[in-house]
Amino acid sequence: MDGVRVGKRVIGAQSPVTVGWENIPKVQGGPLRLFFFTWFQPTMLFALIAFWYYAPNSIAKASTAVGIGIGFKILLLGLEWLAPRHESWRLTWKELTVDLFYVSLGYTVLRLIEGFIGSDAVIEAVQTSFDWQKLAWFIGLPLLLQAFIISFVFDFGQYWMHRGMHNWYPLWVTHAPHHYITQLNVNKGAVGNPVELFLIGLGIGGLFDFLPRAALLAGSLGLAVGTYQHINVRFNSPRWWRFLFNTTEHHSVHHSRDFEASRSNYASTWVVIDRMFGTCVDGEAELLGMEGGRPMSIRETMVYPFADGWRTLKERLGRRSVMPAE
Amino acid sequence: MNHRLVQWIWHVKGSLALAPGQTSDEVFARLDPLFRETGTTRQRDGSRLRFRKRDQAAQDRMAVFDGGELRVERGAEAPVLRYHLTSRALLFCFLAPLMFLVVARLTVIVGEYNKPTPAEIAAKEKREEAKAALPMSPIDTFLGAPAPEKPKKKDPKSKDDDDKPRPTAAYVFAGIFSVLYLVGRIGQARLVRRLFTARLSTL
Ligand SMILES: [Zn+2]
Repeated sequence: MDGVRVGKRVIGAQSPVTVGWENIPKVQGGPLRLFFFTWFQPTMLFALIAFWYYAPNSIAKASTAVGIGIGFKILLLGLEWLAPRHESWRLTWKELTVDLFYVSLGYTVLRLIEGFIGSDAVIEAVQTSFDWQKLAWFIGLPLLLQAFIISFVFDFGQYWMHRGMHNWYPLWVTHAPHHYITQLNVNKGAVGNPVELFLIGLGIGGLFDFLPRAALLAGSLGLAVGTYQHINVRFNSPRWWRFLFNTTEHHSVHHSRDFEASRSNYASTWVVIDRMFGTCVDGEAELLGMEGGRPMSIRETMVYPFADGWRTLKERLGRRSVMPAE
Repeated sequence: MNHRLVQWIWHVKGSLALAPGQTSDEVFARLDPLFRETGTTRQRDGSRLRFRKRDQAAQDRMAVFDGGELRVERGAEAPVLRYHLTSRALLFCFLAPLMFLVVARLTVIVGEYNKPTPAEIAAKEKREEAKAALPMSPIDTFLGAPAPEKPKKKDPKSKDDDDKPRPTAAYVFAGIFSVLYLVGRIGQARLVRRLFTARLSTL
């Protein structure tokens, strides 16, 4: 494999990666099908924004957002089933069950641990001690601008955390299990070692305080854009969408078995952040994973950061003791 | 408890009638591609085949099983293929609801232990109230977005406490995994039977 030069890097020398929008297949089929797979994403995004913008206070609550999130994911699972992007990414009973297990951890065990170690309480304490009057100017901004800033600043933090994970071993061991997934499906975003979720949650987001409605609007960006990182459906996303937002295509490059390709497209929602820092690669990959696509069991995923960290530490200490003392 | 009933949880057993005169060599030759997947080891011993799967690929058609035994036996008229497969995924899925019931109980206990103090609740309410009192951007007023309303004073004795962690999610997942288990136990047994039948009937 030769790979393709993108900036200073060669992408796809180890594992096939398609580079460039012009080389990516488009949705095939009748006009109705084309219409649907072209307009589904923007329509959903604008519908959600309009909903949260105008919903009465009695409805604009976090519990409604949880309900919409679950409903949206079920809809997307249906699309995956009807129109899979790659046959090799088909959702099986076992894949679905394992994915849902990781999703369930986020809703139950991790909340429990958070409650126990009181990380919510820490955020609350910071917010309370922080003079919110200093942020009054922010609350006076138009809602959509507030939502954009919340979403963008949060994603900016996440971009650097994610990039850090790919560049610094102690952070990498927490993120590596997520890269062992060999196919993208709607719930794959939850697959990984739970320590990683704590690190991502450490973003600056928790230290801000905003109007609930602005936060809900920002959240709907994450739902109606970020969710498409992991999905086995092909869309004809509009050009402006692909320029601004992360897509399945971008994220499949990030999950490629090609090492250089995996070091790109770090943002979660705003791929334009990758464009700003030169880490964006427009393209797609079908062959995903690590170690030639070796799957990782739930048990190994849970212990990996500690087991691999320990192994590496022992190796390093061993090497040092062999070397003559200076 | 009935040992076989307990085994049924993660053991899939079945038998298929073979065409008269079909030999075990023929049968295993046809089934062979299923055991040539990465991570699969197999051992043939006359009319018996044992296999083990480790780190099976997501798209391995028998990914749900970790091992098992297939035998070609003499039947009354035609030979019979008997299989006995085991699945840790099914066992795990069966146990998951029990785990979530424990988590639900723990959520309630931790919630009691972590109850916010009245001072904390008051501070939070005060802040929310002050935020709601700030003027909304004129653009939003013009576009007609609903203005934030002051949070209602909560009755401290009321049981409807938003801040308290609820065990609901754990109960919901206990339900989801129960359904998934039943779908998996019945569906995967059927799928593997169909898979064997299809392989044995193709020429
Ligand atoms: Zn990554």
